[in-house]
Amino acid sequence: MIVRVTVLLLALLVFLVPASAQAQDLNDELEKMTKEAMRKVGPSVVQIVTQGGIDMVVTSAKGAVFRKALGPTTGVVVSTDGFVISSAFNFINNPTTILVAVPGHKEPYVARKIATDRSRLLTLLKIEATNLPVPGYVPKKEIVEGQWSIALGRTLDAKREQPPAVTVGVISALNRIWSKAIQTDAKISPINYGGPIVDIVGRVQGILVPASPKGDDETAGFEWYDSGIGFAIPMEDVQSVLPRLKEGKDLKKGLLGIRMKSPDIYGAVPEIGEVLTDTAAARAGLKPGDVVAEIDGKPVVRMAEIQHLLGPKYEGDKISLKYKRDDKIHEVKDLELVGQLTVLAHPFLGILPMRDDPKLGVDVRYVFAKSPAEKAGLKAGDRIVKFGLAKSDQEFTGQVPGRQQFTTWLNGQSPGTEIKLDVKRKDGKTETLTATLDAMPGSTVGQDYAVPDKLPEEASHKKARAPLETNNKNIKPAKVDPPADKAETGLVKRNTPDGEHKFYLWVPENYDPDIAHGLVVWLHPPGKNKEADFDSFADLWLDFCEENRLIILGPVSDSETWLAGESNMVVAAIHDTLKRYTIDRQRVVAHGLGVGGQMALYLGFNDRDLIRGVATAGAVVTALKDNQLGQRLAFYLAGGDLDPLVKGIAESRTQLQSKRFSVLYREVKNRGREYLEAEQMRELARWIDTLDKQ
Amino acid sequence: MRNRRFFVLALATLLASMATAHAQQSFTATANEVNKKMVKLFGAGGFKGLASYGTGIMVSPKGHILTCNNHILSSSDLRVHVYDGRFYRAKVIFREPELDVAVAKIDDDVDFLPHIDFEKEAARPLAEPGDWVLAMSNCFQIATRDEPMSVQRGVISAYAELRGRRGIFDAAFQGDVYFIDAIACNPGAAGGVLANRKGDLLGILGRELKNTLTDTWINYAIPIQAAVDLQREEKLEKVSMATFVREAIAGTYKQSEKRKKEDRGGYHGIVLVPNVIGATPPYIEEVVPGSPAAQAGLRPDDLIVYVDGEIIPSIKMFRELMRQVGPGAEVRMEVQRANRLHSVKLKLTEQPKVQASK
Repeated sequence: MIVRVTVLLLALLVFLVPASAQAQDLNDELEKMTKEAMRKVGPSVVQIVTQGGIDMVVTSAKGAVFRKALGPTTGVVVSTDGFVISSAFNFINNPTTILVAVPGHKEPYVARKIATDRSRLLTLLKIEATNLPVPGYVPKKEIVEGQWSIALGRTLDAKREQPPAVTVGVISALNRIWSKAIQTDAKISPINYGGPIVDIVGRVQGILVPASPKGDDETAGFEWYDSGIGFAIPMEDVQSVLPRLKEGKDLKKGLLGIRMKSPDIYGAVPEIGEVLTDTAAARAGLKPGDVVAEIDGKPVVRMAEIQHLLGPKYEGDKISLKYKRDDKIHEVKDLELVGQLTVLAHPFLGILPMRDDPKLGVDVRYVFAKSPAEKAGLKAGDRIVKFGLAKSDQEFTGQVPGRQQFTTWLNGQSPGTEIKLDVKRKDGKTETLTATLDAMPGSTVGQDYAVPDKLPEEASHKKARAPLETNNKNIKPAKVDPPADKAETGLVKRNTPDGEHKFYLWVPENYDPDIAHGLVVWLHPPGKNKEADFDSFADLWLDFCEENRLIILGPVSDSETWLAGESNMVVAAIHDTLKRYTIDRQRVVAHGLGVGGQMALYLGFNDRDLIRGVATAGAVVTALKDNQLGQRLAFYLAGGDLDPLVKGIAESRTQLQSKRFSVLYREVKNRGREYLEAEQMRELARWIDTLDKQ
Repeated sequence: MRNRRFFVLALATLLASMATAHAQQSFTATANEVNKKMVKLFGAGGFKGLASYGTGIMVSPKGHILTCNNHILSSSDLRVHVYDGRFYRAKVIFREPELDVAVAKIDDDVDFLPHIDFEKEAARPLAEPGDWVLAMSNCFQIATRDEPMSVQRGVISAYAELRGRRGIFDAAFQGDVYFIDAIACNPGAAGGVLANRKGDLLGILGRELKNTLTDTWINYAIPIQAAVDLQREEKLEKVSMATFVREAIAGTYKQSEKRKKEDRGGYHGIVLVPNVIGATPPYIEEVVPGSPAAQAGLRPDDLIVYVDGEIIPSIKMFRELMRQVGPGAEVRMEVQRANRLHSVKLKLTEQPKVQASK
């Protein structure tokens, strides 16, 4: 009612008063209404501070950054009895304590995290408070482009009686981020995440979240802070999902389980390229070649339209779907969307191959106990000469080393597959063996990889640079410039090829260019970037480097913390080393402690073609990615039981294993966030030695 | 319902269109008027990402210029371009680091320059969050000679403390400032004007500062009503920016003595858990019997959350903070015990004398 009167008055004013005075009055009125809106919603806007938690990864203008702490952020009261909604961004570092300061309440409250909406990136909190003011909200259909949108955040000051911080803009667009968000040009920064945008009369339009159409993790879109591009989840949608969140269940995005034939989501017809097993699409009987025609009664002609229609859906939501097959339209009703796609596991036969062998075939160096290889009767000293699925009909060609050819073929098979191997025994006899592949050890939740206590010392034929034997004269082995005979050993100082970045190498004195060496990329803790720091680290590894044939690479970061953008420099340093020294590409490990460990995880996930292992102490997975076909990645996670992060590290193990990565987790007694003890170092060295297991 | 929606829509459209159409006119007059009283400064810098240009405000007809006390002033060759294209050389005559401002004076004998009556402006009450403002400066050195300053529009987001204690480390000024939602604090903008729609001076635009807690750049202006406690001739005095400007113009300003950072550190008797990582939360491991902490009822396993309203994210922060509090002082502390916050008062005492061991 008041609104209506104000509007009327204002309209009258505008038409009755002469033009010059009009402008002033209008501006005054606007200013007044903005402040009124702030005052109206302000009491429901709470300040959220967190304590503890991990050093986390956020995306900044320079790329992802590992940030030490989170500043205060904002939340909005959604029920009188203490439910508060906020952005999931505010809690990705798993804080030990969440405190909510309510305007007008003397003491802050300790909050509990009730549930997270992983699709819309909201988190529901509960505090033990009553009679809290709940703001009104704008129905979605009343939100239009160009409407004023006032962003509120309660973070610049601890003085809670102050009005919230305000930035003013307009609604820029509706139906953003696959129809999940509205867009505003009010300046939005991390202090606003979880806070509201409100209209000129003080009704909440939505809850601000960092978001980007290009990514769907909690930090996507952070780099757009203060740019005039901000996103909010409409309050009506928040309201409709509240009952489900209050039950304490995390909500996931609803997935159909198809991959399109074409990557062009705006141009190509939505023809299905792949139907993933155990998904909604598979249950509906969809097949590659089918063309999606309609979802929930709305016709679709592009993949982008499917994404817009499915974007707002949750796991368990039901849709109806029409598709075209052989020029006929078929319909499926009540198709229940899934929350997670079946993840890919890498296969495991159970052998370690001999390295640096220019001859055709693969020599078996070691057979893992209880592995498919052992069950099939494979023994150390055997030589695999042929392989295949139904028949052992594939030969080694000599185009690439036998170990590489075999790995590539094996990587394409799934666990559970039966394979045939022709094996030449030590006595010269050849037998055909049958093995059923397992999943990589350590890649099942709760079952860590156990490194064998003892491995055969003999690991290499020491002919890494010798010309490869071929099975056909016409085949030319892939040409690689072999590393030089003589290379610098000991502590080597180098620069990346662009001359911009320094890095160190530790090359053992017994370095032999005919033996492929493992490469340990040591990402130093922030600040420990001096030559002396690297030297003392290399000192710890001295013996392992000689015994296990390892080279240590130490890229140097001058920043206060590792920046994700620095991964380019690390990658350049690795490539430079690959050119100069004989390095085993299957044993390149990113290794770090604390923030250095976070960087190691980042490198592992983002440079899959280079990194095969990630070994960390006191680091936690923050941006989990999927396993990739043909790109193996194994993890060695260590944590001290005194480290407040230790729970997070243990949880990282489970997360990684749920994505079918191979994990070995070590909790060390009476340690904080420190470097490994001798015992773990020995284990880690053996772990690296088994990275080329098949 | 329908009606209401119509009105709201009408209002939004109306306001949007009217505001832009008419505000343009009113802002033009304001911007022109303010621009006459502003100067472009050119001095030291030009390397390492430090701009060699800046912005100032004329505060007397004789060519006194108020500006940010930043690096560009460290030049023997400070040049000033006034609004109509004339240019002069100038010298810094007074600085007040605690207010983060300085006054420079044009070398030539002039007596006709348009200027702001600073004392009159500073006598007005503070502006408040939600007020529409204009930020004017020579950011990015877009203007030289008679070209006008760049004008940006925004609102005051908040009036709050520019944290010097944490988050924003290199802030010279430590008091309350206006945060604004225009991206105004760019290279060369420091010393510029924050004005309201009528052209009243509200504040002096600040430096480029990053809030390291949120990893974001901030945009702020020091209010012209700002005042700081300064140690002048053995006495603690409240000195306002208006006093500084008045005395600087009169040539009588007495530079403050450097504030000494005291390391007083009273005794509390709290033993914290080992500081194993960069951000170990401050859990209490032990409370020394009979100590102030014991008297306050603190217990092992309590987690220190706030000290005097300041959130304490780490052991390091707790120690830094407690070093600044002397014996006899009382601090309020909130600790988390189980799932509740408990508030305690801790009265610090002299550090116990260490017994010389034989």
